[in-house]
Amino acid sequence: MAAIIEAEALTKRYGGKRGIAGVSFQVEEGEVFGFLGPNGAGKTTTIRVLMALLKADAGTARIAGMDAWQQSVEIKKLIGYLPGELALDPHLTGGQILEYFGHLRGGVDQTYLKQLIGRLNLDPSRKFRQYSTGDKRKLGLIQAFMHRPRLLVLDEPTNGLDPLNQQEFEHMVQEMRDDGRTVFLSSHILTEVEQTCSRVAIIREGQIARVGGVAEVKDIKRYEIAITFATAVPADAFRTLTGVERVDALPDGHTLRLAMQGVADEVIKVAARYPVVTLTSHEPSLEDIFLRYYEGDGQAVKEASHVVS
Amino acid sequence: MWFRSVFLKTLRDFRVAILGWGVGMGLLMYAVLSAFPSLVETPQARASLVSLSASFTWIAEPIKVDTPGGYLTFKYGFTILVMALWPLLVGSRMLRGEEERGSMDALLSLPRGRVRLALEKMAAMWVALLAMALLIGFLTFGSGRSVTPSIDLGDALLFGLNLSLICGVFGSIALFISQFTQERRTAAGITGGLLLLFIVLDMLHRVISGTEWISRFSPVYYYNLSKPLVPGYGTNAGALLVLVALNVILSGAAIAIFARRDVGGVVAMPRWLRLPERALSPERALPAEAWSLRSIYRRSLAQIAVPTFWWTFGLAAFAGWMIVVIKQTEATLATLTESSPILKDLITKVGGGDVTTNATFLSAFYVLLPVLLMAFAVTQASRWAADEEDGLQELILATPQPRLRVLLARFGAVATATGIISVVTLIVAALSSAVSGLKLDGGNLAAATLSIIPLGLLMAAVGYLLSGWLRAAVETGILSFLLVIWFFITFVGPELNWPAATLRLSALYYYGTPLLHGLPVGDMLAILAVAIVALVLASVRFVRKDIGR
Repeated sequence: MAAIIEAEALTKRYGGKRGIAGVSFQVEEGEVFGFLGPNGAGKTTTIRVLMALLKADAGTARIAGMDAWQQSVEIKKLIGYLPGELALDPHLTGGQILEYFGHLRGGVDQTYLKQLIGRLNLDPSRKFRQYSTGDKRKLGLIQAFMHRPRLLVLDEPTNGLDPLNQQEFEHMVQEMRDDGRTVFLSSHILTEVEQTCSRVAIIREGQIARVGGVAEVKDIKRYEIAITFATAVPADAFRTLTGVERVDALPDGHTLRLAMQGVADEVIKVAARYPVVTLTSHEPSLEDIFLRYYEGDGQAVKEASHVVS
Repeated sequence: MWFRSVFLKTLRDFRVAILGWGVGMGLLMYAVLSAFPSLVETPQARASLVSLSASFTWIAEPIKVDTPGGYLTFKYGFTILVMALWPLLVGSRMLRGEEERGSMDALLSLPRGRVRLALEKMAAMWVALLAMALLIGFLTFGSGRSVTPSIDLGDALLFGLNLSLICGVFGSIALFISQFTQERRTAAGITGGLLLLFIVLDMLHRVISGTEWISRFSPVYYYNLSKPLVPGYGTNAGALLVLVALNVILSGAAIAIFARRDVGGVVAMPRWLRLPERALSPERALPAEAWSLRSIYRRSLAQIAVPTFWWTFGLAAFAGWMIVVIKQTEATLATLTESSPILKDLITKVGGGDVTTNATFLSAFYVLLPVLLMAFAVTQASRWAADEEDGLQELILATPQPRLRVLLARFGAVATATGIISVVTLIVAALSSAVSGLKLDGGNLAAATLSIIPLGLLMAAVGYLLSGWLRAAVETGILSFLLVIWFFITFVGPELNWPAATLRLSALYYYGTPLLHGLPVGDMLAILAVAIVALVLASVRFVRKDIGR
């Protein structure tokens, strides 16, 4: 498959402040690509460079083979865009806004538009300023989807949506993918990316930390074992065992959580010396992986754990 | 220190306004007082001034206009109430603005009550108004002393206080009305209308005898009862108390309502005052064929339709009314100018021609037409910059619309609006001339009303250019400053006998005196050329710049 988005060493600075530096990734046509990172990591800057709202200081961005800055008008014929912060004329109704953007895009299929309004249960007769945060998001999503774009660029698309509408959004993304269209979405909600995306890029402090398939990113041979004992056990007995990366003991001393990499043979054997009540093991969630990229950076870990809770 | 309380934070927000309005208004006092001695150089000139002022009682009651304080009080008349625009805007956004932005929720999550919050904000507005009063008072006193020792500090400060109180009344009205409106700009618009209405109500008793009882309904009437700068007239304590009472009652009622209503909600109006709620059919909810939604140009035009209507109304009414006023005072003015060479000279400098013609007098007033249109252009340029700052350009630029088209469509809408304003002004002026019987050259009248277009476009283009780099507030400040400076040069410069080179620094200079001498084609083309250059540069910048929030 050909790449529909090609970012090569994209750099953008805001005066002395960091923006993004050397961001490179590719998004294949027809895939759903997740762009992960905490607040301030550079997700929105990257997206705004792709949308030619910002001019990159260095590097190139190509969409459908065209230069994102030089041929932005042609590119925007292919794109549906939802910004992270939606600002629209507060005096227009939702319906007027949708028709206005429909005209600016050269017209939209009114039947499909009505379908989208119905699916997301939006009242188009209310003024934008009267909408709740969720309704504003729904309106933004409808305007991004309504012309059936070849590429959807969505910045934090489910911010403010209730679970029911999040589910509907996931269905809409699924349909786009089934139809051979591409979705590029940024998020800090990792479970959402896990459920909707086939590949992800993780951005940290303006730089790409990792790009890969969701399964590939998850499959780095890390997992967690939680053992609950009948009595308190010394955590130190497990710290130096092969495969153990970290041991956390719950306050009562009965339960240990072990971050593992590799074989668990020694752990099982040592645990067998104590009266075990339960033993569970599970694969790391994307959140665990995400947090790991921020280990050693207290602020980032705190921020990330806050946003995913 | 400035972030320790709502009061201090709000006061900090007002620091530029305090200096701007305080010093700006103070300098206007200085300009008039400096020019005063030349107006009363000879007994004839003094007599002419007194007689002439009697013909303009609609501006203000002419009392002792041959004294510096009397002349100053008369000269600015009701126009000094332009300062009420500041508290009017502050009052309308004080609570409603916070609610619209959503920041009121955060403020009310603090451990302090609604009443205290509102009182702190209001206290900040009053401290700012009183600081402006002090600045105006001191500057009036300082400049007055250079002309005559008859102005004392106490009177100058009372002059500033009286002005602050009447301006505060309009802030309080705006605050009160904002409790009933969903948007701050609706409250500001209604209060602006009331400001004009109250000015006219006050004016009524000076123009038509036996109508003083009507004027008493206007707060402006009570402002005018005190004339601290007029020797021997003094301050009317009762009138000052009326203004204080109006402020307390209106603000108190507004705060009482705010303490009881829903945040973000409005006070429910009686059923008979409410607009009928219309349930939109699905077809109307999605107006695919709506004219105003089919392009950026049309949408921009629809967006500015309401302000354009009001500015058109204002300019056309001014142009028409001035013709009627000149007609009414035609005979008096002719006699006066024949008997006073100095007055003749003054009118000639500003009006620019033969005083035996009506057009000369009218020309002196019509110089205000380009000023007003340029003020309209400032508001529109400011809106362009604010839209980008508010993120309203983001989604439009995500559609396949070239940036150049977006900018030109918006500018095109402003240009169309300035054209409409000018043409309607011409039509109203022509009708007024025909109805009143004031003879004017049709071609020159067309030149006087239509040649304001290039000046409006110049202001808008410069605004668009500045918005390529500057934030909306800074851009608006610079444009407003430019307009005030140009106004100052054009209106005060001739009185102070400034050299022609200085007068040429004002764009208004190039408007010339079209009512007398026809269209200054060369000058207008030059202004138009500068406007085009500014627009081209603005376009180049907009096409290349980062779109910010």
